[in-house]
Amino acid sequence: MNKPIDKLLFNPIRLKIISTLINTSECDFSHLKKITESTQGNLSIQIKKLKENNYINIKKSFKNNYPQTTCSITKKGKRKFEEFFETILTYKK
Amino acid sequence: MNTSEEQIEIISKVINSTKENLKPLSVNFIFWGSLIVGMSLIHYIFPQFIQSTEYSSLLFWTVLPIIGMILTVFYNIKVQKTTGYETYLGRAIKIIWGVFNLSWLLIVIISLLKDVNPVPDILFLLSTTLLITGLIIKFKPIIFGGLLLMLFTVYINYNPSINFLLVNIIGISLGMLIPGITLYKSKVDE
Repeated sequence: MNKPIDKLLFNPIRLKIISTLINTSECDFSHLKKITESTQGNLSIQIKKLKENNYINIKKSFKNNYPQTTCSITKKGKRKFEEFFETILTYKK
Repeated sequence: MNTSEEQIEIISKVINSTKENLKPLSVNFIFWGSLIVGMSLIHYIFPQFIQSTEYSSLLFWTVLPIIGMILTVFYNIKVQKTTGYETYLGRAIKIIWGVFNLSWLLIVIISLLKDVNPVPDILFLLSTTLLITGLIIKFKPIIFGGLLLMLFTVYINYNPSINFLLVNIIGISLGMLIPGITLYKSKVDE
């Protein structure tokens, strides 16, 4: 029997965020917006959900007097991504 | 609802879009290679000018590289801000060259205090840093450049009478400048 899929990562925008962060030590909000092709509001909601579940860390700073949000993946986020990837591979078979 | 194939496609597409861009690294190599080779050439052609006073040669070989370091730090910060992300590979390269800069500064200070020529130690440090970088990014010309520079440092340790400026010109050109240009060209062609 197949493992249950992680519902949090089943969402394509959240999956794109985690897939970006798995390959980078940190990534800013504007790049995530470009990668996910989503609106600022929607991206903020998805990032908040990932943060609430401790999948990612969020760092807020200022760049040229403008607020800047930088995200990075947590250990839990990495583990969950690996489990998710293994699960979808079993679904594929 | 997404199928597992679609999910794998999303992951693969996103991971491929956040690959490390090695073009800025090649720009760093070309800049430093040109700077050191250019400085060595000027020193070799106009020794009476560079060595006009007791400290002029020392100033020439410390002030210009420090200005170069500041310029490259600003360039690399700008590149990272434009890219919007930092890959683990980029972070590793940044740390390696950061440690190189610190070690270079320590070698220069220790050599000054002990009144010895810092060139062989700096070239050896550079050769190991180039070799590590080449192995990490899997780029053969930089690996060979690092190895070649390492052989050069072995040679100058057994032949201390050799002109270090000529060693710099040949060693840095073969070990850094040419591999840097090759890397730049390979990234432009991609």
